[in-house]
Amino acid sequence: MVLKLWLLLLGHDLKKPAIEMSQRTERRGIHVDQSELLCNKGCGYYGNTAWQGLCSKCWREEYQRARQKQIQEDWALAEKLQREEEAAYASIQGAQSQPQVQSQASLAPFSKFEEKKTNEKTRKVTTVKKFFSPSSRTTSKKAPPEGEEKVTGLRDWRGMFTPPWEMGYPTEDNQEGKTTSPSISRQSSIETDRVSRDFMEFLKTMQKPGREVQKHSRTFIESMANKKDLGADELSEYVQDFYQNMSERLMNHFKVSSENVERVMDEVEKYIMTRLYKSVFCPETSDDEKKDLATQKRIRALHWVDIQMLCVPVDEEIPEVSDNVVKAITDIIEMDSKRVPRDKLACITRCSKHIFSAIKITKSEPASADDFLPTLIYIVLKANPPRLQSNIQYITRFCNPSRLMTGEDGYYFTNLCCAVAFIEKLDAQSLNLDPEDFERYMSGQASPRRADTDSSWPQTDTALGPVISSPALAKVYQNLDLLSGLGTRQDRVLAAAQSLQRDLLTWEESVGQEVQEILERYPLEIRPPAPSAIDSDVENDLLPPPLMPQVFAG
Amino acid sequence: MASGGGAGGSNKTYSFKVVLLGEGCVGKTSLVLRYCENKFNDKHITTLQASFLTKKLNITGKRVNLAIWDTAGQERFHALGPIYYRDSNGAILVYDVTDEDSFQKVKNWVKELRKMLGNDICLCIVGNKIDLEKERHVSVEEAEGYAESVGAKHYHTSAKLNKGIEELFLDLCKRMMETAQAEERAKGNGASQSSSARRGVQIVDDEPQAATAAGGCCSSG
Ligand SMILES: Nc1nc2c(ncn2[C@@H]2O[C@H](COP(=O)(O)OP(=O)(O)O)[C@@H](O)[C@H]2O)c(=O)[nH]1
Ligand SMILES: [Mg+2]
Repeated sequence: MVLKLWLLLLGHDLKKPAIEMSQRTERRGIHVDQSELLCNKGCGYYGNTAWQGLCSKCWREEYQRARQKQIQEDWALAEKLQREEEAAYASIQGAQSQPQVQSQASLAPFSKFEEKKTNEKTRKVTTVKKFFSPSSRTTSKKAPPEGEEKVTGLRDWRGMFTPPWEMGYPTEDNQEGKTTSPSISRQSSIETDRVSRDFMEFLKTMQKPGREVQKHSRTFIESMANKKDLGADELSEYVQDFYQNMSERLMNHFKVSSENVERVMDEVEKYIMTRLYKSVFCPETSDDEKKDLATQKRIRALHWVDIQMLCVPVDEEIPEVSDNVVKAITDIIEMDSKRVPRDKLACITRCSKHIFSAIKITKSEPASADDFLPTLIYIVLKANPPRLQSNIQYITRFCNPSRLMTGEDGYYFTNLCCAVAFIEKLDAQSLNLDPEDFERYMSGQASPRRADTDSSWPQTDTALGPVISSPALAKVYQNLDLLSGLGTRQDRVLAAAQSLQRDLLTWEESVGQEVQEILERYPLEIRPPAPSAIDSDVENDLLPPPLMPQVFAG
Repeated sequence: MASGGGAGGSNKTYSFKVVLLGEGCVGKTSLVLRYCENKFNDKHITTLQASFLTKKLNITGKRVNLAIWDTAGQERFHALGPIYYRDSNGAILVYDVTDEDSFQKVKNWVKELRKMLGNDICLCIVGNKIDLEKERHVSVEEAEGYAESVGAKHYHTSAKLNKGIEELFLDLCKRMMETAQAEERAKGNGASQSSSARRGVQIVDDEPQAATAAGGCCSSG
């Protein structure tokens, strides 16, 4: 019986992948079911693996709750780091100045700063310029989170680890924190802490300006706490003003060279944006998410656009070229996983470099913009990168402007913007197609497979089988064939197992029958026991005495 | 910083963004490759790409970082122009002296740039391929007269013979420095308004144009 059950279980397990596999071979293209992309909460928006399969709104809700639990741990870490920092400064500044004096001085004009903060809330639009005014150096210590203000240093540090708007009251954790899994925030919180630590390490090398940069950065993050409901453009304005004021101050007041200002500003961006990311990426006040959805749909609808229509100068039959194409696609998809604008930019740059390699190998001449842009468009169409619009908006709003305007990264980013704009506006003329054909392709009534082409989009597959355009695709098809071969073999194993099961069942039955037959032929007779012949004629007193246990002392 | 060309004191570095605009095949890529790599139609060139190139210059003791942005010249990408040229300090509008149509395209670009960016941008109109003087289809007088009428400078170049290219870029840099300095002075005079045009990408629709073939350029494929 146990064996039977086990076989049934095995049969079930074997069957499942076999079914999936045959579906997959039918589809052939690299395609994900629509439902797999939607938010797990079922709100209808697209989810994202980076957000545990939730959409930005549901994620934010989940995150806010889970984050509460994190706070206490952050406190502990902050406390530890604060001690470390104090020790470090004590050793740097040595005899000349006493750190305690500083922190006491900064405590004095506290109430004043509180006042300022409330003013800010009501006025809504202010500039961050005042953080850079000379007086702010004494007042910029963070306001205490309602009531407690014992250790200034600790408060400072805690501010660095938990954005104030997520801090709430420490007592709240115990009530609310239980409902959600901490794993949601664990990963990002570790990253945030690491970035904070790196930032401190970096600033330590800068002595006085470093201390000021740290103070302003922290104050700025705190000031953003009451601004999370602002529109995306205003949020951007605040951050950009902050960058500008900070770099001007470094340049004019501390006479830092422009290269070093760049370096510092990179670190500042990294620190600030890692902390602000969750509240300013794809903010609820914007329609970024709606645009993401529209672009994603649009790219799907354009699945039939091929390399010839776009005049893409890459030959994917060259293995090295298709290799670079795959890498470029991977890079552009990876962009969404980064939090710092500059890291996102770096993904676009890596993608672009792979595109250049693909062109250079194909054409054996350096790629010009005429080659680059169509290829980038092709890559974007193939990759359908997650949250493309949100990412572009985020970079535009929060990246250090000097990088975007004149730098190399800026050039590639601009081309990506161009690619997206082209995809949005693309029509029959821009692909050199007959308008009627274009309409039919868009509506899915026809697919543009021509007899003379040697290349086609994988999804345009028909019953005839795909026309393989690249070695990479060929490999994919080969693997799919192998997989479906495995599927049929598994089916055979399953069939054999089932017949074995049947055999076992009939065997069991036949054995049972035999036993029954034998039992019937030789029925069990229970007779009364006859007295034994041995016992009858032996006299009891001739028997030896029964054995007795003997006890020995010692 | 916000203006892109920003640089204040004596030891500052100017950073300028210059876009290359013009029809396909007029020689935009050839011009930058000649200027930055001193190469022309070189099959053995090691440069990976010629779409974004930089050049460091020292002009009257001031350091200048020049970033040259190539743009896709195909007709179907024309509408993307504003995304490319926003925030640029200079534009080099190239035509082929043997191709009258390409000069007409330059005129269209000038109109658009002036409309979108006003006089903040330094314009250079460049007649390339003067080594093909015999096949010239755009007269020198017409081209120079037009340039003057729109406040642009005109240059004649040959990427093939390396003629007129150094002058073109040096001249442009000097003009962009003047513009940046004038801007700084204006800022210093109290009109300290942080860039309002820092962001805001917008795409203007193409002016209705003849349905020209959207096929690739001669240099692609
Ligand atoms: N004779 C001649 N040919 C040129 C010159 N500059 C470019 N070309 C050629 O014109 C063609 C197009 O040049 P390219 O730089 O790709 O133009 P782009 O499309 O504007 O970037 C190429 O075949 C070049 O060799 C030039 O100064 N003289
Ligand atoms: Mg070119």
